[in-house]
Amino acid sequence: MRLRRTDPHTLAGAYALDALGDADRENFERHLGTCEACRAEAASLRDAAGRLAEATAAAPPPRLRGLVLAEAARTRQQPPPARVAERVRRSWHGVGWPAAPRMAVAIAGVGILVALALGTLLINDQHKLHLADAQRGQIAAILNAPDADIMTVRARTRGSATVVMSHAAHALVLTTARLPALPPTEVYQVWLMGTHKVRSAGRLPPPKQGMTAPMIVAGLAAGDRMGVTIEPAAGAPHPSSPPVLMLSLPTG
Amino acid sequence: MTAELPGQRPQAASAGELAGLLAKVARGDEAAFAWVYDRFATVVYGIVRRVLRDPAQSEEVTQEVLLEVWRTASRFDPVEGSARSWLMTLAHRRAVDRVRSVQASAAREARAAVVATDYDVVAEEVETRLDAQRVRRCLDTLTELQRESVTLAYYGGYTYREVAALLGVAVGTVKTRMRDGLIRLRDCLGTDS
Repeated sequence: MRLRRTDPHTLAGAYALDALGDADRENFERHLGTCEACRAEAASLRDAAGRLAEATAAAPPPRLRGLVLAEAARTRQQPPPARVAERVRRSWHGVGWPAAPRMAVAIAGVGILVALALGTLLINDQHKLHLADAQRGQIAAILNAPDADIMTVRARTRGSATVVMSHAAHALVLTTARLPALPPTEVYQVWLMGTHKVRSAGRLPPPKQGMTAPMIVAGLAAGDRMGVTIEPAAGAPHPSSPPVLMLSLPTG
Repeated sequence: MTAELPGQRPQAASAGELAGLLAKVARGDEAAFAWVYDRFATVVYGIVRRVLRDPAQSEEVTQEVLLEVWRTASRFDPVEGSARSWLMTLAHRRAVDRVRSVQASAAREARAAVVATDYDVVAEEVETRLDAQRVRRCLDTLTELQRESVTLAYYGGYTYREVAALLGVAVGTVKTRMRDGLIRLRDCLGTDS
């Protein structure tokens, strides 16, 4: 993958300037999810970049004020991030995408459950899964994060996804089990649905014995939801079908 | 919070103050939202118009950005950065998203000539503002390539690859100049939060 060839740190400036294309941005945010020093640097550079706007201040047309305030008065505000279980229940009534089936379990705390959900894949099946060392390290860091949340969600079709999310790392590890097999022309694609836009988080790896290898989804932002759709094998720039599963990510 | 100084310029609003206002906005306080508008609409509109250039589109995007502030104020997380940084990111990303999704490539190329002459053209609009002067002064401390890389990306809404093509230098060079330039800018402007 791209980040192995390029030193990701050099992208911090371009990232802060919003000068990365979608793919570069996704890769960099994935990297940020695992590098605390990089997050700090990115935040400070973003702050500096934002100051550039001070040199371009210009008064908008006066009528805009009335328009914006009136529009705000009739626009419903998003609720603040709530506790995990609450959020999870509410997530199925979220905006935009069709309601997904209910959450199977939402459990706070990691340990045995993580081991059950992911440990076997990670520890016993390492060889089979061909996980790169670096990736394994990132996965372990997320699983062992003190603030990790584990969630399982049932797919609308069949099967389920298990997510372990670290708020501090802005990243999660995703595995799935028993999702319906797809023809070779199709693939499951993972999306992060934020307040601004939907970002692709990549395609699920092909299943082995019905389970997919742990996949890292980084660069999570507050208010994101994670969805999985069926897309053409090459992947799609935007989701083109209703999600087979959806999960509102807790925001801490 | 301290929203009782009507004459104060937007730039004078501290990050802490904006964070306080956002907390009120999150609770549906329309007056607090009006304050946010009064203090930050010029900065938001300014950067959006700088990037988009088209006044009608800029108005539209400015409206979107400010409504986004209203809708998602409860999601602002001080742990991830200052309130002003959050707001500016929202504004700049929206503007850049608009550029990249809507604007035809032909129109973008037409913009290039104007953008390349750059920041002091726009700065005329705000010459009297101390903050603007400070930003310009700090921009002047950058090397020419750093400055061009940073301003083409931020004010022009170009990706680093596009900036490299416009400047006729290697992509890797542009990436490092952007980072070094921002570091220098940050150090010159001083830490803000």
